[in-house]
Amino acid sequence: MFHLALKNILFYKGRSIATLVLTFLSALFFIVYVSMMDGSHNAMLQNSLKIYTGAIEIYKKGYRDIGGNEYLLNDVESITQKLDKIEGIEAYSPRYETYGLLSSKEQSTASMVVGIDPKKEQQLNELSSALVEGKYLDGTNNNCLYSGVDLVSKLKVKLGNEIAFIGSASDNSFAADIFKLCGIFKTGLFEFDASSSFVDKNYLDTLMYTQNKASYITLKLDDINDADKVNKDINSILDNEVESLTWKTLMSSMVELLEVDSIFGYVSLSLFFVVIFFVIMIYGFINVSSRTKEFGVLRSIGLSRGNIRKLLFYEIFILSSIAILLATPIGAYITYYYSLNPIIIEGIAETYKQYGIVSDEMPFSFDMFTISWNVLVIYGLNFLSILYPMVYINSFNPIEAMGHV
Amino acid sequence: MRKLIILLFLFSTLLLSNEADEIIKKLDENMRGQSIHLKMNMEIKSLGHTRTIKIENWAKGTKKSFVKITYPPKDQGITFLSLDNQMWQYVPKIERVIKIPPSMMLQNWMGSDITNDDMVKQNSIVEDYTARILEKKENMVTIELIPKEESAVVWGKIVSHIDTNTYTSSKDSFYDEEGKEVRTFTYDNIKKYGKYYIPTYWELRPSDKKENHTKIELEEIEYDIDISDQYFTKSALKRFSR
Repeated sequence: MFHLALKNILFYKGRSIATLVLTFLSALFFIVYVSMMDGSHNAMLQNSLKIYTGAIEIYKKGYRDIGGNEYLLNDVESITQKLDKIEGIEAYSPRYETYGLLSSKEQSTASMVVGIDPKKEQQLNELSSALVEGKYLDGTNNNCLYSGVDLVSKLKVKLGNEIAFIGSASDNSFAADIFKLCGIFKTGLFEFDASSSFVDKNYLDTLMYTQNKASYITLKLDDINDADKVNKDINSILDNEVESLTWKTLMSSMVELLEVDSIFGYVSLSLFFVVIFFVIMIYGFINVSSRTKEFGVLRSIGLSRGNIRKLLFYEIFILSSIAILLATPIGAYITYYYSLNPIIIEGIAETYKQYGIVSDEMPFSFDMFTISWNVLVIYGLNFLSILYPMVYINSFNPIEAMGHV
Repeated sequence: MRKLIILLFLFSTLLLSNEADEIIKKLDENMRGQSIHLKMNMEIKSLGHTRTIKIENWAKGTKKSFVKITYPPKDQGITFLSLDNQMWQYVPKIERVIKIPPSMMLQNWMGSDITNDDMVKQNSIVEDYTARILEKKENMVTIELIPKEESAVVWGKIVSHIDTNTYTSSKDSFYDEEGKEVRTFTYDNIKKYGKYYIPTYWELRPSDKKENHTKIELEEIEYDIDISDQYFTKSALKRFSR
């Protein structure tokens, strides 16, 4: 039966080539599209993690939902001493975030001012690398301000200019100071660049009375894939009023946004596959119906309905397998190549910066598991496409089939 | 008959609406006068401890207000000016006059539970809200204030319990745009100054932080005095800071 299927494939060249080409292109397109979608989603998450959000962050319970000075970590040292004993943590740093008014001589705007340990932050993220003008904080406990490029533009200030700050200290008393703009950063995350400034935590502690206090502690792990395990270890040694959260929770809104984006991507793809499925099925059906007389002869010389099903199955199996075997290595190579050498689309970061695109590079994701299920979907669709022709041809009895015109 | 009932209903609604507007207008007059000069003590309880701030305030009509902090020494000389729906602040420590953007009007003022908007009374309950009587029991009237469509106000709704003998409020509840109660002002110790009645004890409790409060006691009150227009200029922020 296999040989007969092979002969049929070679004889009906039009149908065979159409099925091969469509299956090959569908599989290749599916592999490349999913790889590009996953790659851009991974890049968005990684960029966010690289810039500000830690793999794990430790908060006093209530800070993230309600916030304010009531929910500060009040004994940072005792927590960091405990962190030192946990394996898998590469670095950590306490941050104090406050929201106040930054004001130049011309303009005022609400802003987040964050007290950081500049040296430790360099180990944790690439905030210092986002510098576009001036210098990063040097850790000398001065009033230098490191501000986002869009915030600087809103305040209409230049490097070296003074920026007044007014806000509430950690005891809710009034706090005011003059900062000096020393550095300007650009991460590409628009909201972040338009509303964030950083200052040496030691300096800010004196102004805000936050010695040994922090809004939270941010952590970098040896391996981000161990986040759940390390998080469990941290939670087991922390007091009840403190909580440790992984990036999946911290960035849940972004993760959800990306999931929704993926769903829309798959919905668009499924429309494409419905078209492909029907084209393959129609080609198969036309081919099978034009061979009705031939199937009638085969049935009359002793082939059963099961043999006819087997014959058609072998035909689609051979055609699909050839197409998939060609598409898989080519698709895998393309995704592998572009995962190492991302496509560069000039201006894409500027256009899509509000979605977290911080680079003009479009990296692909190379994942054999994803490639495998991609090709299996196409494979499955091909087998589904032959079901109706099978039912159709087996609805004739041999005499009817032989007399079919 | 049906037309008569509808007419009677519309007429009574109009009368109630006019009465509510009238009550709110008189309440607002009591709180502001033509001009007013106040000295007040503000006790702020938050984070488990209590602080006291002393304030002096000069105001003329609804558009001009000048506030000066006189205590504690750390904050002494901080001044605020509200002029034609704009607000500025002067901070002696940094020697800067800073314009407060509209987006900051709901921020807490000096770490208390009152907002920048409360301090400058940028929004007028007479001009920016539509008043409606909810309940009337002898001299006590409950009025609901809903912001007018064109008004840029910070509250979704205010419910005020007003004594129509003195045209002073005993309790104001403030709601956000979702209708959730955000804070409550209670008033007590009503005193008469000339033709004006004013509660001299105010207590503010935020709904989500029951342990916090801001208590205000009005110590000196002068109505309809001649306040120099010099107070209501940007240069006054620095000039009257000392």
